[in-house]
Amino acid sequence: MRAPYRIGCDVGGTFTDVVCIGADGATLLAKSATTPQDQSIGVLDGLGVLAGMLGMALPDLLAQTERLVHGTTVATNALLEHRTARIGMLTTEGHRDVIEMREGLKPERYDLRLPPPAPLVPRRLRLPLRERVRADGRVETALDDASLTAAIAALREAQVEAVAICLFHSWRDPAHEQQAGAAVAATLPGVYVTLSSDVLPQIKEFERFSTTVVNAAVGPIVARYLGRLETRLAEAGFRHPLFVILSHGGVAPVAEASRIAAGTALSGPAGGVAAGLALARAGLGQDLVTFDVGGTSTDVALIEGGEAALGRGRQVGGERIALESLDIVTLGAGGGSIGHIGAGGMMRVGPRSAGAVPGPACYGAGGAEPAVTDANLMLGYLDGARFLGGRRALDVAAARGAVEKLGAKLGLGLMQCAAGIHALANIAMADGIRVATVRRGVDPRGYCLLAFGGAAGLHASAVARDLGMSRVAVPLLAAGLSAWGMLQTDLRYEVSRSLIGATGLPDEATIRALFAELEAAARARMAEWMANTADQSPAIRRSADMRYGEQVFEVGVPLDAVDWDDAGLPERLSESFHARHEALFTYALRGEEVVLVTARVAAIGRLPALPVRELPARPEAAAVARRQAFVAGAVRDLPVYAFTALAPGQQLAGPAIVESDTTTVLLLPGDTAWLDARGWLEVTVGGG
Amino acid sequence: MPIPDPVTLAVLENRFRAVVEEMGEALLRTATSQILNSSRDFSIALCDARGRLVAQADHIPVHVGAMPFAAEAALEAFPGQMRPGDCFLLNDPWHGGSHLPDLTIVLPVFEKGVLIFLCVVRAHQSDIGGATHGGYNPSATEIWQEGIRIPPIRLGEGDTLREDLVHMLALNTRIARDFRGDLMAMWGSARLGAKRLEALLASHGAASLNAAVDAILDLAESHARRIIETWTDGVWYGEAVLDDDGHGTQDVTIRATVTKKGGALEVDLTASDPQTLGFVNSSWPNTVSAARMALAYLLDPEVAKNDGAFRPLTVLAREGTVVRAAEGAAVTLCTSHCSNEIVEAVVKALANACPARAMGGWGRRFRIAIQGQDPRRAGRKFVWHLFHARPGGGGHARGDGWSGAGEWHSAGGLKFGSVEMAEARFPLFFRRHEFLAGSAGDGEYRGGLGGELELVMETDGPARANTAGDGARHGAAGMLGGQDGAPHHYRLLPAKGTPRDLLTKEAGVLLSPGDVLHVRSGGGGGWGDPARRSPEARAEDAAEGFVLDKRSGE
Repeated sequence: MRAPYRIGCDVGGTFTDVVCIGADGATLLAKSATTPQDQSIGVLDGLGVLAGMLGMALPDLLAQTERLVHGTTVATNALLEHRTARIGMLTTEGHRDVIEMREGLKPERYDLRLPPPAPLVPRRLRLPLRERVRADGRVETALDDASLTAAIAALREAQVEAVAICLFHSWRDPAHEQQAGAAVAATLPGVYVTLSSDVLPQIKEFERFSTTVVNAAVGPIVARYLGRLETRLAEAGFRHPLFVILSHGGVAPVAEASRIAAGTALSGPAGGVAAGLALARAGLGQDLVTFDVGGTSTDVALIEGGEAALGRGRQVGGERIALESLDIVTLGAGGGSIGHIGAGGMMRVGPRSAGAVPGPACYGAGGAEPAVTDANLMLGYLDGARFLGGRRALDVAAARGAVEKLGAKLGLGLMQCAAGIHALANIAMADGIRVATVRRGVDPRGYCLLAFGGAAGLHASAVARDLGMSRVAVPLLAAGLSAWGMLQTDLRYEVSRSLIGATGLPDEATIRALFAELEAAARARMAEWMANTADQSPAIRRSADMRYGEQVFEVGVPLDAVDWDDAGLPERLSESFHARHEALFTYALRGEEVVLVTARVAAIGRLPALPVRELPARPEAAAVARRQAFVAGAVRDLPVYAFTALAPGQQLAGPAIVESDTTTVLLLPGDTAWLDARGWLEVTVGGG
Repeated sequence: MPIPDPVTLAVLENRFRAVVEEMGEALLRTATSQILNSSRDFSIALCDARGRLVAQADHIPVHVGAMPFAAEAALEAFPGQMRPGDCFLLNDPWHGGSHLPDLTIVLPVFEKGVLIFLCVVRAHQSDIGGATHGGYNPSATEIWQEGIRIPPIRLGEGDTLREDLVHMLALNTRIARDFRGDLMAMWGSARLGAKRLEALLASHGAASLNAAVDAILDLAESHARRIIETWTDGVWYGEAVLDDDGHGTQDVTIRATVTKKGGALEVDLTASDPQTLGFVNSSWPNTVSAARMALAYLLDPEVAKNDGAFRPLTVLAREGTVVRAAEGAAVTLCTSHCSNEIVEAVVKALANACPARAMGGWGRRFRIAIQGQDPRRAGRKFVWHLFHARPGGGGHARGDGWSGAGEWHSAGGLKFGSVEMAEARFPLFFRRHEFLAGSAGDGEYRGGLGGELELVMETDGPARANTAGDGARHGAAGMLGGQDGAPHHYRLLPAKGTPRDLLTKEAGVLLSPGDVLHVRSGGGGGWGDPARRSPEARAEDAAEGFVLDKRSGE
């Protein structure tokens, strides 16, 4: 592998994956144990492992590394584990409870004894400011200094680490928020201050306030963590800027990830979707279902026509984050999901998971219930001696004991019970994908299932068969694909502003002025970020959230295809909306009033494309072993192929097992597969 | 019949649930009217050829126990006459429906000409004809004033809907476009379900699926009975009271005598008050559904909501009472009132048998719809529905109630819209919208708080409001020594003139520019003796401003 290097680094629940791409396009995956107390330690460990694999000292490797992209779960974990910062909130008098009301919604319809969650900021620290701006920007009540002074005194008293400033209609006029923010910053130095008009300048107070409060709750934590990581990297010899992948799938510098820390909530899984987009560009196909099977869950996203959809309905740890983020659906089934008998007496798999600790029974760390991985081991799909290249020998006896125990309760033999666990995991994954696709109005049958994460290859063929999908692809780098994907995406900065009045579309001049202002802001920010790169002209992408007058839901309308130069822009925007509505919901109401709610402009700063190296031609590889595995109701003798030894174009026929140190692929009877020189195993699913 | 192995059984049970969930997503995505695609006021069920509920998607609790009545009514109306490609429709409360706005499609699924399943899709319509817009007519005294009655009809055959029938129905509603759009979406959803079930039938065969259905229902039944068996045997009594029927009858009382013996429950409502002139009467399917809803709330949430889970429950009522109105009575309010009171009476009775499972009362519904003109949009009328300032949920043995999560019948499933958006789009100013201190029923675990709304009219000239609801005199019930939540208190503060209380069933209330609606909604009922509330919890309530400060003398 030749310098300079580019490194992607993805922190998962159990492992930290580090992927390095050299100047010659060579690619290497290193893994280290994730260090939950301070993820940056595991990151440095992983970089150390990588340096060792390259036979280099870490400082030498880092000195020759020109791009480092990081995916972090620090914000996500803080929200899931309720370890957020101590925060205060300044908000409009008479409306203190927006974030605790949650729009009247409560999860779990039939669980009336579910206690309400504690709000991220208690009511006593949601301090009222006497002020009020109206929807049209008119100031009903000017910001009252006395109320501001009293609120700041209360914040000081409470020793908050961060302050969210959330005022009504600040999407229209942010002056009061800015005034309050400046006062807080001046009086409470060192406190993380975030304004709703800065985080999400859009109408709808719950989404804006909740997002801003989340930002305050994770902001100091993310900022401290990224600061530590930067320091460690600098000490280890890294001289270039560190980038962080955000929930929308683009990357941004550390300062931006700290400013909009709530935007890192999907930082981890976003890498997988970015990888899917890159593989779509590389020729895998324009329509993909990304299928990332992890230890506790499976992440699914759709790539349609080479594009990944963005949504704003994300919840993490029960908290609403309305920032643009990839539309990733998380299913409660993964390698650690536990097979058990549910309260109703029915056999179940998941959503309970063995997690990283103790992990499946076969990890030998005290897990006593059978996880999906235990079932896969019993069925002969995994090689207990070669798991993770032999670095983690699996405890076959423990797995057998756990599966047998459940089987005895159900009146099932060992293999029947293991096959049952495997089948129920497949069903949960397939049904999850089906619901995710119908929600988007997509028929998955024409799509290719892109399987990655350590365990996806064992389930992909069965899941695809169930969904009527005929194509599966498993990349050689399946176990580190998210880290690889982080290196395949560009800088992204989005600005948005709501523009809504009592009537329909604003006039042409107003629309043009708004988009021009947003574009200027996006270009200016991107110019700062790209000061050191060759490409100084970002791509500009416009879109708008629009709806019919009396509707409640907005529809995101891409406006890239709209001619922006000629007169008659409002009419073209209206028509784009009608067409989009028709495509999504089968009908348009062309006589109805059209409302533009929010205008959006994204600047995409292209990072230099990385070299691609196709796999060299080599002789076809013979099976390296044969293994007894339970497939389609019977124990069969399956050939086992070494994934990394296959020759490009080499054809395989199922049933067979293809395995590497970090991933295993199960080909079912009727499947055929061949290795694509671009780095993935392409499976044609049998008629089943 | 072959007994399915545990794996096949679990696979099929998952599949049935996935089918109804997918049908729900499809309906949500394609529905035209706001009430469906934003309020999600619809439900999906899968029934077998005998009309037994096999699986349902978690949508509106008050619909779920009522869906099998629709399946049974369609089967009864067309005995042995259903054919592949048929589609049946109904809404009449004496023919399988609950109340007229809920339209229900029943679509049969066959294997080799034998009926195996019925896909049932129910959705609330924004208008169903009748004397007033939107279905809720407080002045109605008979069902014919409430909308068009549809007994089970064959709306379609050969995979085609009969356009003459669709046209006739659409013509009888005020918003024909929504009606048609939603009907198409419902039919599409049912057909998608049928397609998925046909694939399952092809891969597993009817015998195996029927055997799985029997086993799934039996498992749910034994699950429910196992839980019920842990409750104290006995004959228990509970009652709940409605304010009035809007036509002069006050304190309409629901009386539930619940006999719990072993794994069986009998809910006897025969002592409830006579039926009323106004629309708080319940249809029989709605009453049974309310009793089932109460049972579902008291069981573990994991219990599958199907025919098996409801087998332990028998419901008795006498025709001519408010819980089983004679044919022709006005019933439109029944899915909220008297549903909520039936649930409350049953929970109150069973609180004696399973105290740790009982919860304080959830709020009552008090809706307001305003019709007026926006000065910024000359000549354009608007209609705005109040979903804000929701009442609180009840306290329970695991903690305090949810504030602002709503009523028994929706239980946190109904969303209120953005205040900023309402201000931008309607001539309304939300001066205050917060939790209402002191509204919760006290208890070892208190109820959730209700809300307070000060809404200023900025309309162009006079506007009109209709109210429909209950709970201005009776708050959500306290349970096991817990106190009742405060009742609703809605006031009209005119710019000129004397403030007055709003009644829960009023038509044509005049609202002038500058008038203020001051809404103070009730909190949830408390659970357990207030004396047992921990000092920490009291201190927290005081710090959070959830209780009235006694020193201020408010």
